[in-house]
Amino acid sequence: MQRITHPLVGAAMLAAIAAPACAQDLLIKAGRIMVAPDSILEDSALLVRDGKIAYVGNDIPTEARARAREIDLGDHTVSPGFVLAATTLKSDADLAEGAFAFTPDLRVAEAFDAWNEHLEHLAPSCVTSFGMAPSPRNVAGGVGVLAKPGKTRGRIAAEDAFVGFSLVSAARSQERDPTSLMGARSLLSDAFEAARVGVEVGPDLAVLRQVMSGARSAMIYGDTYAELNAALALGKQFNFTPVIIGARDAHKVMGKLTERGASVVLGTLSPTKRVAELELPKKLADAGIPFCFAGRPDQLRVSAALAVRHGLSREAAHAALTRTPATLLGQQSAVGALRQGCSADFLVFDGDLLDLNARHIATWVDGVLLCGAEQTQNQHSAGANR
Amino acid sequence: MQSLRSLLVPAVLVTWTLHAPGPVAQEPRTPEPRARAERSRPGNESPRAQSQDPRRGRGRSGGRRRGLTVIEAAVVHPVSGPPIENGVVVIRGERILAVGLQGELELPANTQIYKYPNGHVYPGLIDASTDAFTDDDLRKDNKLNGGSELSEALVWTGDRDDQLIRHGVTTAYVSVRSSAQVRGQGAIVRPHVDRFELWEDKEQAALQLRMATGTESQHPLQRQAQLAAAEKLFNGLEDYRDAKEKFDKDLEKYNKDFEKYLEHHRKKNGKDEKKSEDEPEKSEGKQAEEPAEAPEGRRRGRGPGGRRRPPEGGGEGGETEDLLKGVLETDYTRALALIFEQQASSPAPQDPRGRRRPTGGRPAAAAEQKPADGKPEGEGGKKEEDGPKRPKYPKRPKVDPQKDALAKVIDGVMPLRVEAQRVEELRAALRLQRDNDVPLMVLEHAYAAGSIADEIAAQSTTVVLTNVMPHALGAPGEKRNPFAKFDVAALPRQLDEAGVPFAIASGSARLASVLTMMAANAVGAGASPEAVLRALTLTPAEILGVADDTGSLTRDKFADVLVTDGPLFASDSRVLLVLSKGRTEFERD
Repeated sequence: MQRITHPLVGAAMLAAIAAPACAQDLLIKAGRIMVAPDSILEDSALLVRDGKIAYVGNDIPTEARARAREIDLGDHTVSPGFVLAATTLKSDADLAEGAFAFTPDLRVAEAFDAWNEHLEHLAPSCVTSFGMAPSPRNVAGGVGVLAKPGKTRGRIAAEDAFVGFSLVSAARSQERDPTSLMGARSLLSDAFEAARVGVEVGPDLAVLRQVMSGARSAMIYGDTYAELNAALALGKQFNFTPVIIGARDAHKVMGKLTERGASVVLGTLSPTKRVAELELPKKLADAGIPFCFAGRPDQLRVSAALAVRHGLSREAAHAALTRTPATLLGQQSAVGALRQGCSADFLVFDGDLLDLNARHIATWVDGVLLCGAEQTQNQHSAGANR
Repeated sequence: MQSLRSLLVPAVLVTWTLHAPGPVAQEPRTPEPRARAERSRPGNESPRAQSQDPRRGRGRSGGRRRGLTVIEAAVVHPVSGPPIENGVVVIRGERILAVGLQGELELPANTQIYKYPNGHVYPGLIDASTDAFTDDDLRKDNKLNGGSELSEALVWTGDRDDQLIRHGVTTAYVSVRSSAQVRGQGAIVRPHVDRFELWEDKEQAALQLRMATGTESQHPLQRQAQLAAAEKLFNGLEDYRDAKEKFDKDLEKYNKDFEKYLEHHRKKNGKDEKKSEDEPEKSEGKQAEEPAEAPEGRRRGRGPGGRRRPPEGGGEGGETEDLLKGVLETDYTRALALIFEQQASSPAPQDPRGRRRPTGGRPAAAAEQKPADGKPEGEGGKKEEDGPKRPKYPKRPKVDPQKDALAKVIDGVMPLRVEAQRVEELRAALRLQRDNDVPLMVLEHAYAAGSIADEIAAQSTTVVLTNVMPHALGAPGEKRNPFAKFDVAALPRQLDEAGVPFAIASGSARLASVLTMMAANAVGAGASPEAVLRALTLTPAEILGVADDTGSLTRDKFADVLVTDGPLFASDSRVLLVLSKGRTEFERD
């Protein structure tokens, strides 16, 4: 064996051994690629590089196409992954400071458990990113994050995504202030006023200043007519546009929602709900009020399908699962679509995902297959033969 | 005269046209329709809800059927065969006349044609399990038993839960999920837009048994004890049937013997008969109940021994003492007295005609009035040394409606529907079927059926699935929910692969609107679309025993037809038209 004597050659070899191997590009080919709800490509492809969408469709350079590992999904449909706008992943105890109701400066990122057992159920439910919110048990809960499930553990994608507030009954406790909706409303109002007029404020009021300036979005839990009115009034008084989580009585405040430009995060829809609730998504869409679905991650697709059954357009339903929640979280450039620069978070179905007879084939997050089958040209599934 | 005749004929024709009935509809058997309409909630029922006469109820296209009705659509799904593109369904009256390709048939001039260029035609859906037309009282009644006939308690309220027909359901099996172990006998109904009708001869369609222990019984030993109680359901049935058979035979023998006995006395006392014929006329209208009458249940008057006419000249047993007064000197009337004595000593069924039964004192009164010869009646036969002995009326066994229902199950007249969820419950149900030779058994819920599908197939048992929505039983990873681990959506594929016939049902009237979404979900979980479509139509028809009349678009079956504006499994597929026995029940504007 010839001995290596030249020092440069040896150094190059050592560098090659020490440096991590770059992941190969992925060329995802499919019969239908939904870049966004209003942008659908037929018989097209995506180039995934380092976990992000590098190129879409005809923009893919020939040499990149040639170097990439090809995954041919045949007639299947590729869709952006679902964005779950607000959840605590059943970690309410860690995401609510029980002794104090007003803690806007607490950070969910510091309580995020990357090995939360519920993370593993997100990918099979088509959820590729989610807003982890403070618990609704605090009137001002803290700063939420955008997080994602992973192959072995979850991770935080954006640490300071939004601020969580709450006016629901869970935030009112007889053991500490506030004990009533009036008290909760007054607490927030006084705090925002202090943040507005104060010269030097602490970290808690500084967060409120950011909300008023638009630097952070505000998500407020509210269900009843009174709670919704209080949330909208707060937004009007302090010049911010709330995103209301829950909004069970949204149909009673449609005019005010439109007037304030507010958005709504609806809970899970189920067939046993009242017809008024099942028809609410269509009414919101007709009124131009942005909305999305939340609640149980495994019921997002069913919620959207039920909304379609009760008159919502398919485009609006797709948006409610992807682009709209991303926008509400201020993360539309990162998730919720398959445009260039977005995370390679996508789903594979053998039909339109809003039809429950379409089979869920796979979920990818950051260009990594988390669940399902990786299709190649030689491994078309039987479900494609309809 | 000529001018009068020329007026008479057209007058007759006009009169005939006005009063000529439409095509004969099978008169539905709807118990107490007026009472049910009265129980409807005010304001919720349509004006047509007042009418229970099917010939008066109308769909949007009008009531009277004339000529042929034809439905042309982009795709016709017969279920009994492959889909037909550009298909046509031809209907005459209540029945399907033909199914085929458009343009192949020459249609008469007065044919009513529905054209749906983008539509899909299916058989009317069959919901194999619903609680529609039941109220909370019935659903929560834990005192139901095998003799409870749910058809007697169904009500129409006209609210959202009764609108099965709007979702394309033309036939449904109704039962309740009370906490009772034996939940009565379910019924098959045909929903309409403003009422429902019971399917003839299917008012007692199946016997419901609960072997599911639910989430309350968490300990295996506790569940085992509950199952053991259910497995004793058929205990004593054989003895009961033997006792009934014996009674029937004894009664038949009694009838024959008594005829002989009476005949003997008629011949022997010919003159006395003529005299005594005048006496019974005084008591005409008080005819006694025939001793041979042995009703089967509380509602039906027919008995296994058949209806036996009272002896000639016999009077009703209402006023026995008056009846017997003055006429007890003859042997013939002595025989009548003996008849009355037997009736008084045997259990008295309720006479639907409202006639009074012999009083309890009659046997004593009859006994007091001994024949002139002084001998007691029991020894009357001794006097006729060459005549037949007076037969003794057989003792009727105590009627048990639940056992009567179980007997029907054993005889294959009525299926046994068993709600069983876990593996041990399903196996207990299968064991029950094996041990008691139950010919027809249907498993309901059957969440764990996937793991024992081969065992179910081996016993030719059918399955009715409900809750076939994603994670309907609980969220993934829900630790305290013992049912969260079951993947109900995968069951159709698993059962289909094992060859187990299965139906997909709503389980609840509120879920009828998503019956097709449940089916779609099953396809999404891997089941074949053909098997799933069959699970909404022909398979439930077979399970309910009505497949000869409905469940597919086949010649001579009822014209139960559903038309949608797109494929049935699409989330936004809307119902455009629903026909039930050829009559328009729903039509979207």
